[in-house]
Amino acid sequence: MIKTVDLEKIFVVRDQVVRAVDGITTHIKSGEVVVVIGPSGSGKSTYLRCLNGLEPLTAGHVHIDGIDLANRKTDMNKVRREVGMVFQQFNLFPHKTVLENLVLAQMKVRKRSRKEAEKKGRALLDKVGIPEKESNYPSQLSGGQQQRVAIARALAMDPKVMLFDEPTSALDPEMVGEVLEVMKQLAREGMTMVVVTHEMGFAREVADRVLFMDYGKLVEEGTPEHFFTEPQEERAKLFLRQVL
Amino acid sequence: MNSYLKNWLWRSLTILVLLGIVAGLWIATKRIDYTWRWNRVPQYFAYHSEDIKTVDFDGLITKIDKKGDLTTVTVKNAISGETSSFIIDTETANVSVDEYLMEGDTVGSTREWKAGPLAHGLWVTLWISAVASVIGLVIGVVTGLCRVSQNLTLRQLSITYIEIIRGTPLLVQLFIFYFFLGTVLNIGRLPSGIFALGIFAGAYVAEIIRAGIQSIPKGQMEAARSLGMNVPQAMIYIILPQAFKRTLPPLAGQFISLIKDSSLVSVIAITDLTKSGREVITSTFAVFEIWFVVAFLYLILTFSLSQVVAWIERRLAVSD
Repeated sequence: MIKTVDLEKIFVVRDQVVRAVDGITTHIKSGEVVVVIGPSGSGKSTYLRCLNGLEPLTAGHVHIDGIDLANRKTDMNKVRREVGMVFQQFNLFPHKTVLENLVLAQMKVRKRSRKEAEKKGRALLDKVGIPEKESNYPSQLSGGQQQRVAIARALAMDPKVMLFDEPTSALDPEMVGEVLEVMKQLAREGMTMVVVTHEMGFAREVADRVLFMDYGKLVEEGTPEHFFTEPQEERAKLFLRQVL
Repeated sequence: MNSYLKNWLWRSLTILVLLGIVAGLWIATKRIDYTWRWNRVPQYFAYHSEDIKTVDFDGLITKIDKKGDLTTVTVKNAISGETSSFIIDTETANVSVDEYLMEGDTVGSTREWKAGPLAHGLWVTLWISAVASVIGLVIGVVTGLCRVSQNLTLRQLSITYIEIIRGTPLLVQLFIFYFFLGTVLNIGRLPSGIFALGIFAGAYVAEIIRAGIQSIPKGQMEAARSLGMNVPQAMIYIILPQAFKRTLPPLAGQFISLIKDSSLVSVIAITDLTKSGREVITSTFAVFEIWFVVAFLYLILTFSLSQVVAWIERRLAVSD
Protein backbone atom coordinates (compact mmCIF):
# COMPACT_ATOMS: atom_id res chain seq x y z
CA MET A 1 0.00 0.00 0.00
CA ILE A 2 2.61 2.57 1.09
CA LYS A 3 6.29 1.99 0.50
CA THR A 4 8.97 4.45 1.44
CA VAL A 5 12.48 3.97 0.17
CA ASP A 6 15.37 5.91 1.74
CA LEU A 7 12.99 8.78 2.45
CA GLU A 8 14.85 11.97 3.31
CA LYS A 9 13.58 15.41 4.26
CA ILE A 10 16.11 18.12 5.03
CA PHE A 11 15.17 21.60 6.23
CA VAL A 12 17.59 24.49 6.12
CA VAL A 13 16.72 26.96 8.87
CA ARG A 14 19.07 29.96 9.09
CA ASP A 15 22.03 28.02 7.65
CA GLN A 16 21.30 25.18 10.07
CA VAL A 17 20.74 21.88 8.29
CA VAL A 18 18.04 19.81 10.00
CA ARG A 19 17.69 16.23 8.84
CA ALA A 20 14.05 15.81 9.90
CA VAL A 21 13.63 12.48 8.14
CA ASP A 22 16.87 10.69 7.52
CA GLY A 23 16.64 7.65 5.32
CA ILE A 24 13.51 5.75 6.27
CA THR A 25 12.51 2.60 4.43
CA THR A 26 9.17 1.10 5.41
CA HIS A 27 6.39 -0.91 3.90
CA ILE A 28 2.85 -0.40 5.16
CA LYS A 29 0.49 -3.10 4.00
CA SER A 30 -3.16 -2.67 3.15
CA GLY A 31 -5.36 -2.92 6.24
CA GLU A 32 -2.47 -2.47 8.61
CA VAL A 33 -2.51 -0.05 11.53
CA VAL A 34 0.95 1.43 12.05
CA VAL A 35 1.67 3.67 15.00
CA VAL A 36 4.68 5.97 14.86
CA ILE A 37 6.09 7.05 18.20
CA GLY A 38 9.17 8.86 19.34
CA PRO A 39 10.33 11.88 21.30
CA SER A 40 9.26 15.34 20.09
CA GLY A 41 11.42 16.61 17.25
CA SER A 42 12.19 13.10 16.12
CA GLY A 43 10.65 13.75 12.70
CA LYS A 44 7.57 11.56 13.00
CA SER A 45 5.14 14.30 11.90
CA THR A 46 7.41 15.23 8.99
CA TYR A 47 7.55 11.59 7.98
CA LEU A 48 3.76 11.43 8.02
CA ARG A 49 3.44 14.66 6.02
CA CYS A 50 5.81 13.25 3.40
CA LEU A 51 3.41 10.35 2.88
CA ASN A 52 0.80 12.59 1.23
CA GLY A 53 3.20 15.07 -0.26
CA LEU A 54 2.43 17.97 2.08
CA GLU A 55 6.21 18.15 2.52
CA PRO A 56 8.12 17.80 -0.73
CA LEU A 57 10.75 15.09 -0.42
CA THR A 58 14.44 15.96 -0.44
CA ALA A 59 15.45 12.49 -1.57
CA GLY A 60 14.12 8.95 -1.73
CA HIS A 61 10.74 7.68 -2.82
CA VAL A 62 7.21 7.30 -1.49
CA HIS A 63 5.07 4.81 -3.40
CA ILE A 64 1.35 4.91 -2.74
CA ASP A 65 -0.45 2.09 -4.53
CA GLY A 66 2.50 1.94 -6.88
CA ILE A 67 2.48 5.69 -7.68
CA ASP A 68 5.77 7.42 -6.89
CA LEU A 69 5.34 10.80 -5.20
CA ALA A 70 8.94 11.72 -6.03
CA ASN A 71 8.10 11.55 -9.74
CA ARG A 72 7.54 15.12 -10.92
CA LYS A 73 4.84 13.96 -13.32
CA THR A 74 2.68 12.53 -10.55
CA ASP A 75 -0.56 14.46 -10.06
CA MET A 76 -0.38 15.11 -6.31
CA ASN A 77 -4.03 16.15 -6.12
CA LYS A 78 -5.05 12.75 -7.44
CA VAL A 79 -2.89 10.98 -4.88
CA ARG A 80 -4.09 13.12 -2.00
CA ARG A 81 -7.76 12.38 -2.54
CA GLU A 82 -6.93 8.73 -1.81
CA VAL A 83 -5.00 9.62 1.34
CA GLY A 84 -7.04 11.13 4.18
CA MET A 85 -5.29 13.22 6.80
CA VAL A 86 -6.28 14.31 10.29
CA PHE A 87 -4.33 17.13 11.91
CA GLN A 88 -3.38 17.96 15.46
CA GLN A 89 -5.13 21.34 15.21
CA PHE A 90 -8.22 19.85 13.43
CA ASN A 91 -8.02 22.53 10.69
CA LEU A 92 -11.73 22.53 10.05
CA PHE A 93 -12.92 25.30 7.75
CA PRO A 94 -14.27 27.86 10.25
CA HIS A 95 -16.45 29.73 7.74
CA LYS A 96 -18.43 26.63 6.81
CA THR A 97 -20.93 24.59 8.77
CA VAL A 98 -20.04 21.08 9.85
CA LEU A 99 -21.99 19.52 6.98
CA GLU A 100 -20.46 21.97 4.49
CA ASN A 101 -17.01 20.96 5.74
CA LEU A 102 -17.82 17.40 4.79
CA VAL A 103 -19.56 18.21 1.52
CA LEU A 104 -17.22 20.75 -0.09
CA ALA A 105 -14.33 18.53 -1.19
CA GLN A 106 -16.67 15.71 -2.19
CA MET A 107 -18.38 18.06 -4.64
CA LYS A 108 -15.31 19.93 -5.89
CA VAL A 109 -12.82 17.07 -6.00
CA ARG A 110 -14.89 13.89 -6.31
CA LYS A 111 -17.50 15.74 -8.42
CA ARG A 112 -20.40 14.27 -6.49
CA SER A 113 -23.84 15.89 -6.57
CA ARG A 114 -24.83 17.91 -3.51
CA LYS A 115 -27.52 15.38 -2.64
CA GLU A 116 -25.12 12.47 -2.79
CA ALA A 117 -22.42 14.36 -0.86
CA GLU A 118 -24.84 15.42 1.88
CA LYS A 119 -26.12 11.88 2.25
CA LYS A 120 -22.58 10.62 2.64
CA GLY A 121 -21.74 13.49 5.01
CA ARG A 122 -24.74 12.78 7.26
CA ALA A 123 -23.96 9.08 7.34
CA LEU A 124 -20.40 9.85 8.46
CA LEU A 125 -21.53 12.34 11.11
CA ASP A 126 -23.76 9.59 12.38
CA LYS A 127 -20.81 7.23 12.42
CA VAL A 128 -18.61 9.59 14.47
CA GLY A 129 -21.53 10.19 16.81
CA ILE A 130 -22.51 13.86 16.24
CA PRO A 131 -25.39 13.80 13.76
CA GLU A 132 -27.13 16.68 15.56
CA LYS A 133 -24.32 19.17 14.90
CA GLU A 134 -24.50 19.29 11.12
CA SER A 135 -25.62 22.92 10.87
CA ASN A 136 -23.32 24.23 13.61
CA TYR A 137 -20.10 26.07 12.89
CA PRO A 138 -16.82 24.50 14.04
CA SER A 139 -16.31 27.24 16.65
CA GLN A 140 -19.46 26.04 18.41
CA LEU A 141 -18.07 22.53 18.90
CA SER A 142 -15.80 21.13 21.57
CA GLY A 143 -12.29 20.01 20.62
CA GLY A 144 -13.25 16.35 20.63
CA GLN A 145 -16.26 17.02 18.43
CA GLN A 146 -14.16 19.09 16.05
CA GLN A 147 -11.62 16.32 15.69
CA ARG A 148 -14.37 13.79 15.03
CA VAL A 149 -15.74 16.09 12.32
CA ALA A 150 -12.22 16.30 10.89
CA ILE A 151 -12.04 12.51 10.76
CA ALA A 152 -15.45 12.38 9.07
CA ARG A 153 -14.31 15.04 6.59
CA ALA A 154 -11.30 12.94 5.60
CA LEU A 155 -13.42 9.77 5.39
CA ALA A 156 -15.94 11.48 3.12
CA MET A 157 -13.40 11.28 0.31
CA ASP A 158 -13.35 7.47 0.59
CA PRO A 159 -9.60 7.34 1.16
CA LYS A 160 -7.60 4.13 0.95
CA VAL A 161 -5.26 5.26 3.73
CA MET A 162 -5.80 7.51 6.73
CA LEU A 163 -2.93 9.50 8.24
CA PHE A 164 -3.31 10.83 11.78
CA ASP A 165 -0.91 13.54 12.95
CA GLU A 166 -1.10 13.57 16.77
CA PRO A 167 -4.91 13.68 16.63
CA THR A 168 -5.41 13.86 20.39
CA SER A 169 -2.51 16.12 21.41
CA ALA A 170 -4.51 19.35 21.30
CA LEU A 171 -7.48 17.92 23.20
CA ASP A 172 -8.53 18.23 26.80
CA PRO A 173 -7.92 14.88 28.54
CA GLU A 174 -11.61 14.05 28.91
CA MET A 175 -12.10 14.35 25.13
CA VAL A 176 -9.26 12.07 24.10
CA GLY A 177 -11.37 8.96 24.63
CA GLU A 178 -14.13 9.85 22.19
CA VAL A 179 -11.64 10.49 19.38
CA LEU A 180 -9.65 7.31 20.08
CA GLU A 181 -12.91 5.36 20.07
CA VAL A 182 -13.67 6.54 16.52
CA MET A 183 -10.14 5.60 15.47
CA LYS A 184 -10.42 2.15 17.01
CA GLN A 185 -13.66 1.57 15.17
CA LEU A 186 -11.97 2.54 11.92
CA ALA A 187 -9.13 0.14 12.62
CA ARG A 188 -11.61 -2.68 13.29
CA GLU A 189 -13.26 -1.96 9.94
CA GLY A 190 -9.94 -2.67 8.24
CA MET A 191 -8.84 0.87 7.31
CA THR A 192 -5.15 1.24 6.55
CA MET A 193 -3.91 3.74 9.14
CA VAL A 194 -0.66 5.49 9.97
CA VAL A 195 -0.94 7.18 13.36
CA VAL A 196 1.58 9.51 14.95
CA THR A 197 0.63 9.67 18.60
CA HIS A 198 1.73 9.83 22.21
CA GLU A 199 -1.15 7.59 23.30
CA MET A 200 0.75 4.45 24.30
CA GLY A 201 -2.48 2.74 25.29
CA PHE A 202 -3.84 3.17 21.80
CA ALA A 203 -0.60 1.88 20.28
CA ARG A 204 -0.66 -1.19 22.47
CA GLU A 205 -4.29 -1.99 21.86
CA VAL A 206 -4.81 -1.18 18.20
CA ALA A 207 -1.48 -1.15 16.40
CA ASP A 208 -0.36 -4.03 14.21
CA ARG A 209 3.10 -2.56 14.17
CA VAL A 210 4.97 0.17 16.03
CA LEU A 211 7.66 2.35 14.46
CA PHE A 212 9.99 4.12 16.89
CA MET A 213 11.76 7.17 15.45
CA ASP A 214 14.52 9.34 16.86
CA TYR A 215 16.62 12.04 15.14
CA GLY A 216 14.84 11.34 11.85
CA LYS A 217 15.87 7.69 11.83
CA LEU A 218 13.81 4.56 12.23
CA VAL A 219 15.33 3.15 15.40
CA GLU A 220 13.13 0.19 16.17
CA GLU A 221 10.14 -1.49 14.58
CA GLY A 222 7.97 -4.38 15.70
CA THR A 223 4.68 -5.60 17.06
CA PRO A 224 3.36 -3.74 20.12
CA GLU A 225 3.98 -6.77 22.38
CA HIS A 226 7.57 -6.93 21.27
CA PHE A 227 8.15 -3.18 21.41
CA PHE A 228 6.57 -2.47 24.77
CA THR A 229 7.90 -5.53 26.59
CA GLU A 230 11.35 -6.23 25.19
CA PRO A 231 12.69 -3.32 23.12
CA GLN A 232 16.16 -3.96 21.78
CA GLU A 233 17.51 -0.46 21.29
CA GLU A 234 18.81 1.63 24.16
CA ARG A 235 17.03 4.79 22.99
CA ALA A 236 13.71 2.98 22.79
CA LYS A 237 14.17 1.65 26.32
CA LEU A 238 14.99 5.14 27.60
CA PHE A 239 11.96 6.62 25.86
CA LEU A 240 9.62 3.96 27.23
CA ARG A 241 10.95 4.44 30.74
CA GLN A 242 10.11 8.13 30.47
CA VAL A 243 6.60 7.83 29.06
CA LEU A 244 5.27 4.72 30.78
CA MET B 1 -21.56 59.32 41.76
CA ASN B 2 -22.61 56.35 39.67
CA SER B 3 -21.02 55.66 36.30
CA TYR B 4 -24.15 56.37 34.29
CA LEU B 5 -24.43 59.87 35.65
CA LYS B 6 -20.71 60.40 35.14
CA ASN B 7 -21.02 59.36 31.48
CA TRP B 8 -24.04 61.56 31.07
CA LEU B 9 -22.05 64.56 32.24
CA TRP B 10 -19.19 63.79 29.86
CA ARG B 11 -21.65 63.42 27.01
CA SER B 12 -23.10 66.83 27.77
CA LEU B 13 -19.60 68.24 27.76
CA THR B 14 -18.99 66.78 24.28
CA ILE B 15 -22.12 68.43 22.94
CA LEU B 16 -21.19 71.67 24.67
CA VAL B 17 -17.72 71.72 23.12
CA LEU B 18 -19.12 71.01 19.64
CA LEU B 19 -21.74 73.75 20.05
CA GLY B 20 -19.00 76.07 21.24
CA ILE B 21 -16.97 75.46 18.08
CA VAL B 22 -20.00 76.05 15.86
CA ALA B 23 -20.88 79.23 17.74
CA GLY B 24 -17.30 80.44 17.42
CA LEU B 25 -17.37 79.89 13.66
CA TRP B 26 -20.69 81.65 13.40
CA ILE B 27 -19.40 84.68 15.31
CA ALA B 28 -16.29 84.72 13.14
CA THR B 29 -18.39 84.86 9.96
CA LYS B 30 -20.51 87.64 11.49
CA ARG B 31 -17.39 89.69 12.03
CA ILE B 32 -16.45 89.53 8.36
CA ASP B 33 -20.01 90.50 7.37
CA TYR B 34 -20.79 87.30 5.56
CA THR B 35 -24.46 86.96 4.74
CA TRP B 36 -25.63 83.36 4.82
CA ARG B 37 -28.00 82.57 2.00
CA TRP B 38 -29.05 79.00 2.58
CA ASN B 39 -32.25 79.60 0.63
CA ARG B 40 -30.23 79.70 -2.58
CA VAL B 41 -28.96 76.16 -2.15
CA PRO B 42 -32.03 73.93 -2.76
CA GLN B 43 -32.56 75.08 -6.36
CA TYR B 44 -29.19 73.57 -7.26
CA PHE B 45 -30.41 70.14 -6.22
CA ALA B 46 -33.64 70.20 -8.15
CA TYR B 47 -35.58 72.85 -9.98
CA HIS B 48 -38.86 73.20 -11.77
CA SER B 49 -38.24 73.52 -15.48
CA GLU B 50 -40.92 74.77 -17.82
CA ASP B 51 -41.11 73.56 -21.41
CA ILE B 52 -43.24 76.02 -23.38
CA LYS B 53 -45.09 74.51 -26.34
CA THR B 54 -45.70 76.81 -29.28
CA VAL B 55 -47.29 76.25 -32.69
CA ASP B 56 -45.01 76.61 -35.70
CA PHE B 57 -47.90 77.27 -38.10
CA ASP B 58 -51.15 79.22 -38.24
CA GLY B 59 -54.14 77.13 -37.24
CA LEU B 60 -57.43 76.67 -35.44
CA ILE B 61 -57.92 74.80 -32.17
CA THR B 62 -60.41 72.05 -32.93
CA LYS B 63 -60.44 70.09 -29.68
CA ILE B 64 -59.30 70.40 -26.03
CA ASP B 65 -59.33 67.13 -24.16
CA LYS B 66 -58.75 67.44 -20.41
CA LYS B 67 -57.67 64.29 -18.66
CA GLY B 68 -56.70 65.01 -15.06
CA ASP B 69 -53.39 66.86 -14.95
CA LEU B 70 -52.76 66.57 -18.68
CA THR B 71 -54.61 68.23 -21.51
CA THR B 72 -54.39 67.37 -25.19
CA VAL B 73 -54.90 70.35 -27.49
CA THR B 74 -55.54 69.55 -31.15
CA VAL B 75 -54.75 72.29 -33.69
CA LYS B 76 -55.70 72.17 -37.37
CA ASN B 77 -53.23 73.70 -39.79
CA ALA B 78 -55.03 76.49 -41.65
CA ILE B 79 -53.14 75.90 -44.92
CA SER B 80 -52.50 72.16 -45.22
CA GLY B 81 -55.45 70.99 -43.15
CA GLU B 82 -53.34 68.57 -41.12
CA THR B 83 -53.97 68.35 -37.39
CA SER B 84 -51.30 68.35 -34.67
CA SER B 85 -51.70 67.46 -30.99
CA PHE B 86 -49.95 69.11 -28.05
CA ILE B 87 -49.85 67.57 -24.59
CA ILE B 88 -49.61 70.22 -21.87
CA ASP B 89 -50.21 70.53 -18.14
CA THR B 90 -53.86 71.33 -17.49
CA GLU B 91 -53.11 74.27 -15.20
CA THR B 92 -51.09 76.03 -17.94
CA ALA B 93 -53.84 75.72 -20.54
CA ASN B 94 -55.34 79.15 -21.28
CA VAL B 95 -56.64 78.56 -24.79
CA SER B 96 -60.14 77.66 -25.88
CA VAL B 97 -61.81 75.76 -28.71
CA ASP B 98 -62.14 77.66 -32.02
CA GLU B 99 -59.40 80.04 -31.02
CA TYR B 100 -57.15 80.96 -33.96
CA LEU B 101 -53.43 80.72 -33.24
CA MET B 102 -50.68 82.47 -35.20
CA GLU B 103 -47.29 80.90 -35.79
CA GLY B 104 -45.26 81.18 -32.57
CA ASP B 105 -48.24 81.47 -30.25
CA THR B 106 -48.17 79.58 -26.95
CA VAL B 107 -50.48 76.60 -26.54
CA GLY B 108 -49.35 75.87 -22.98
CA SER B 109 -46.41 74.28 -21.25
CA THR B 110 -45.27 71.21 -19.38
CA ARG B 111 -43.45 71.52 -16.11
CA GLU B 112 -41.20 68.96 -14.55
CA TRP B 113 -38.66 68.63 -11.78
CA LYS B 114 -35.10 68.44 -13.04
CA ALA B 115 -31.96 67.48 -11.19
CA GLY B 116 -29.72 70.44 -10.48
CA PRO B 117 -25.93 70.48 -10.74
CA LEU B 118 -25.37 69.33 -7.16
CA ALA B 119 -27.64 66.28 -7.55
CA HIS B 120 -26.02 65.53 -10.89
CA GLY B 121 -22.53 65.88 -9.41
CA LEU B 122 -23.47 63.62 -6.52
CA TRP B 123 -24.63 60.98 -8.99
CA VAL B 124 -21.42 61.28 -11.03
CA THR B 125 -19.28 60.95 -7.90
CA LEU B 126 -21.34 57.94 -6.83
CA TRP B 127 -21.05 55.97 -10.05
CA ILE B 128 -17.42 56.92 -10.72
CA SER B 129 -16.52 55.70 -7.23
CA ALA B 130 -18.58 52.54 -7.66
CA VAL B 131 -17.00 51.60 -10.99
CA ALA B 132 -13.50 52.49 -9.74
CA SER B 133 -14.11 50.38 -6.60
CA VAL B 134 -15.02 47.34 -8.68
CA ILE B 135 -11.94 47.84 -10.87
CA GLY B 136 -9.80 48.38 -7.76
CA LEU B 137 -11.16 45.27 -6.09
CA VAL B 138 -10.54 43.07 -9.14
CA ILE B 139 -7.02 44.45 -9.66
CA GLY B 140 -6.35 44.25 -5.93
CA VAL B 141 -7.40 40.61 -5.58
CA VAL B 142 -5.43 39.54 -8.65
CA THR B 143 -2.34 41.52 -7.57
CA GLY B 144 -2.68 40.30 -3.98
CA LEU B 145 -2.70 36.71 -5.22
CA CYS B 146 0.33 37.40 -7.43
CA ARG B 147 2.04 38.95 -4.42
CA VAL B 148 1.84 35.64 -2.49
CA SER B 149 2.44 33.49 -5.57
CA GLN B 150 5.30 30.98 -5.85
CA ASN B 151 6.25 32.51 -9.18
CA LEU B 152 9.03 35.10 -8.81
CA THR B 153 8.06 37.13 -11.90
CA LEU B 154 4.46 37.50 -10.74
CA ARG B 155 5.70 38.50 -7.30
CA GLN B 156 8.15 41.08 -8.64
CA LEU B 157 5.64 42.54 -11.10
CA SER B 158 3.04 42.96 -8.38
CA ILE B 159 5.57 44.59 -6.03
CA THR B 160 6.65 46.97 -8.80
CA TYR B 161 3.05 47.98 -9.45
CA ILE B 162 2.27 48.46 -5.77
CA GLU B 163 5.41 50.50 -5.09
CA ILE B 164 4.94 52.78 -8.11
CA ILE B 165 1.29 53.48 -7.38
CA ARG B 166 1.74 53.94 -3.64
CA GLY B 167 4.83 56.07 -4.12
CA THR B 168 3.34 58.71 -6.41
CA PRO B 169 0.54 61.21 -5.72
CA LEU B 170 -2.91 60.39 -7.08
CA LEU B 171 -3.13 63.88 -8.56
CA VAL B 172 -0.01 63.27 -10.65
CA GLN B 173 -1.33 59.84 -11.66
CA LEU B 174 -4.56 61.44 -12.83
CA PHE B 175 -2.63 63.90 -14.99
CA ILE B 176 -0.51 61.11 -16.44
CA PHE B 177 -3.59 59.02 -17.17
CA TYR B 178 -5.44 61.91 -18.77
CA PHE B 179 -2.67 63.70 -20.65
CA PHE B 180 -0.34 60.81 -21.47
CA LEU B 181 -2.35 57.58 -21.61
CA GLY B 182 -5.52 59.41 -22.60
CA THR B 183 -3.71 60.87 -25.62
CA VAL B 184 -1.65 57.81 -26.52
CA LEU B 185 -4.48 55.31 -26.21
CA ASN B 186 -7.09 57.84 -27.28
CA ILE B 187 -9.45 57.43 -24.33
CA GLY B 188 -11.71 60.11 -22.94
CA ARG B 189 -11.51 61.93 -19.62
CA LEU B 190 -14.11 59.75 -17.89
CA PRO B 191 -12.40 56.41 -18.58
CA SER B 192 -9.03 57.99 -17.77
CA GLY B 193 -10.27 59.26 -14.43
CA ILE B 194 -12.05 56.04 -13.52
CA PHE B 195 -9.08 53.83 -14.42
CA ALA B 196 -6.66 56.09 -12.57
CA LEU B 197 -8.82 55.82 -9.43
CA GLY B 198 -9.31 52.06 -9.84
CA ILE B 199 -5.61 51.37 -10.39
CA PHE B 200 -4.72 53.63 -7.46
CA ALA B 201 -7.12 51.81 -5.13
CA GLY B 202 -5.99 48.43 -6.51
CA ALA B 203 -2.47 48.86 -5.13
CA TYR B 204 -3.76 49.42 -1.62
CA VAL B 205 -6.38 46.66 -1.91
CA ALA B 206 -3.63 44.27 -3.05
CA GLU B 207 -1.65 44.84 0.14
CA ILE B 208 -4.78 44.42 2.26
CA ILE B 209 -5.66 41.17 0.47
CA ARG B 210 -2.08 39.90 0.83
CA ALA B 211 -2.14 40.58 4.56
CA GLY B 212 -5.51 38.83 4.77
CA ILE B 213 -4.28 35.73 2.94
CA GLN B 214 -1.14 35.56 5.06
CA SER B 215 -3.17 35.88 8.26
CA ILE B 216 -5.02 32.60 7.54
CA PRO B 217 -3.31 29.74 9.41
CA LYS B 218 -1.18 27.45 7.20
CA GLY B 219 -3.25 24.50 8.39
CA GLN B 220 -6.22 25.69 6.34
CA MET B 221 -4.32 25.38 3.07
CA GLU B 222 -2.86 22.06 4.20
CA ALA B 223 -6.28 20.69 5.12
CA ALA B 224 -7.68 21.76 1.76
CA ARG B 225 -4.77 20.27 -0.14
CA SER B 226 -4.92 17.04 1.89
CA LEU B 227 -8.51 16.62 0.67
CA GLY B 228 -7.23 16.68 -2.90
CA MET B 229 -8.13 20.27 -3.77
CA ASN B 230 -5.73 22.07 -6.08
CA VAL B 231 -4.34 25.51 -5.23
CA PRO B 232 -7.01 27.56 -7.09
CA GLN B 233 -9.81 25.54 -5.46
CA ALA B 234 -8.29 25.94 -2.01
CA MET B 235 -7.90 29.68 -2.60
CA ILE B 236 -11.44 30.21 -3.90
CA TYR B 237 -13.34 28.04 -1.42
CA ILE B 238 -11.18 28.11 1.70
CA ILE B 239 -8.59 30.89 1.90
CA LEU B 240 -10.17 33.88 0.14
CA PRO B 241 -13.58 33.73 1.89
CA GLN B 242 -11.83 33.77 5.26
CA ALA B 243 -9.34 36.41 4.16
CA PHE B 244 -12.17 38.56 2.80
CA LYS B 245 -14.00 38.40 6.10
CA ARG B 246 -10.90 39.48 8.01
CA THR B 247 -10.01 42.27 5.62
CA LEU B 248 -13.47 43.76 5.41
CA PRO B 249 -12.78 46.64 7.85
CA PRO B 250 -9.57 47.84 6.12
CA LEU B 251 -11.18 47.30 2.70
CA ALA B 252 -14.09 49.47 3.76
CA GLY B 253 -11.63 52.16 4.83
CA GLN B 254 -9.96 51.94 1.43
CA PHE B 255 -13.22 52.36 -0.47
CA ILE B 256 -14.25 55.26 1.76
CA SER B 257 -10.90 56.85 0.85
CA LEU B 258 -11.67 56.16 -2.80
CA ILE B 259 -14.96 58.09 -2.60
CA LYS B 260 -13.12 61.04 -1.10
CA ASP B 261 -10.19 60.78 -3.53
CA SER B 262 -12.63 60.81 -6.42
CA SER B 263 -12.97 64.58 -5.79
CA LEU B 264 -9.59 64.92 -7.51
CA VAL B 265 -11.03 63.93 -10.89
CA SER B 266 -12.51 67.44 -11.02
CA VAL B 267 -9.05 68.63 -12.12
CA ILE B 268 -9.43 66.81 -15.44
CA ALA B 269 -12.82 68.51 -15.90
CA ILE B 270 -15.09 65.66 -14.89
CA THR B 271 -18.22 67.22 -13.44
CA ASP B 272 -18.30 65.35 -10.16
CA LEU B 273 -19.66 66.67 -6.88
CA THR B 274 -16.64 68.90 -6.23
CA LYS B 275 -16.62 70.43 -9.70
CA SER B 276 -20.39 70.95 -9.57
CA GLY B 277 -19.90 72.73 -6.28
CA ARG B 278 -17.31 75.03 -7.83
CA GLU B 279 -19.61 75.75 -10.75
CA VAL B 280 -22.53 76.60 -8.48
CA ILE B 281 -20.29 78.93 -6.47
CA THR B 282 -19.34 80.87 -9.59
CA SER B 283 -23.01 81.65 -10.19
CA THR B 284 -24.15 82.21 -6.59
CA PHE B 285 -21.07 83.37 -4.66
CA ALA B 286 -22.50 81.35 -1.77
CA VAL B 287 -19.02 79.98 -1.14
CA PHE B 288 -19.43 78.93 2.47
CA GLU B 289 -22.85 77.35 2.07
CA ILE B 290 -21.98 75.31 -1.01
CA TRP B 291 -18.73 73.90 0.37
CA PHE B 292 -20.49 72.89 3.58
CA VAL B 293 -23.21 71.23 1.53
CA VAL B 294 -20.65 69.44 -0.66
CA ALA B 295 -18.81 68.20 2.42
CA PHE B 296 -22.08 67.01 3.90
CA LEU B 297 -22.96 65.11 0.70
CA TYR B 298 -19.59 63.31 0.73
CA LEU B 299 -20.25 62.48 4.37
CA ILE B 300 -23.61 60.93 3.45
CA LEU B 301 -21.93 58.73 0.83
CA THR B 302 -19.12 57.55 3.08
CA PHE B 303 -21.38 57.05 6.07
CA SER B 304 -23.82 54.95 4.02
CA LEU B 305 -20.94 52.80 2.81
CA SER B 306 -19.62 52.21 6.31
CA GLN B 307 -23.14 51.26 7.45
CA VAL B 308 -23.46 48.74 4.60
CA VAL B 309 -20.08 47.25 5.51
CA ALA B 310 -21.02 47.05 9.18
CA TRP B 311 -24.15 45.17 8.12
CA ILE B 312 -22.11 42.70 6.02
CA GLU B 313 -19.72 42.23 8.94
CA ARG B 314 -22.61 41.33 11.23
CA ARG B 315 -23.91 38.87 8.63
CA LEU B 316 -20.50 37.18 8.34
CA ALA B 317 -20.05 37.00 12.09
CA VAL B 318 -22.42 34.02 12.39
CA SER B 319 -19.56 31.53 12.11
CA ASP B 320 -17.53 33.16 14.91
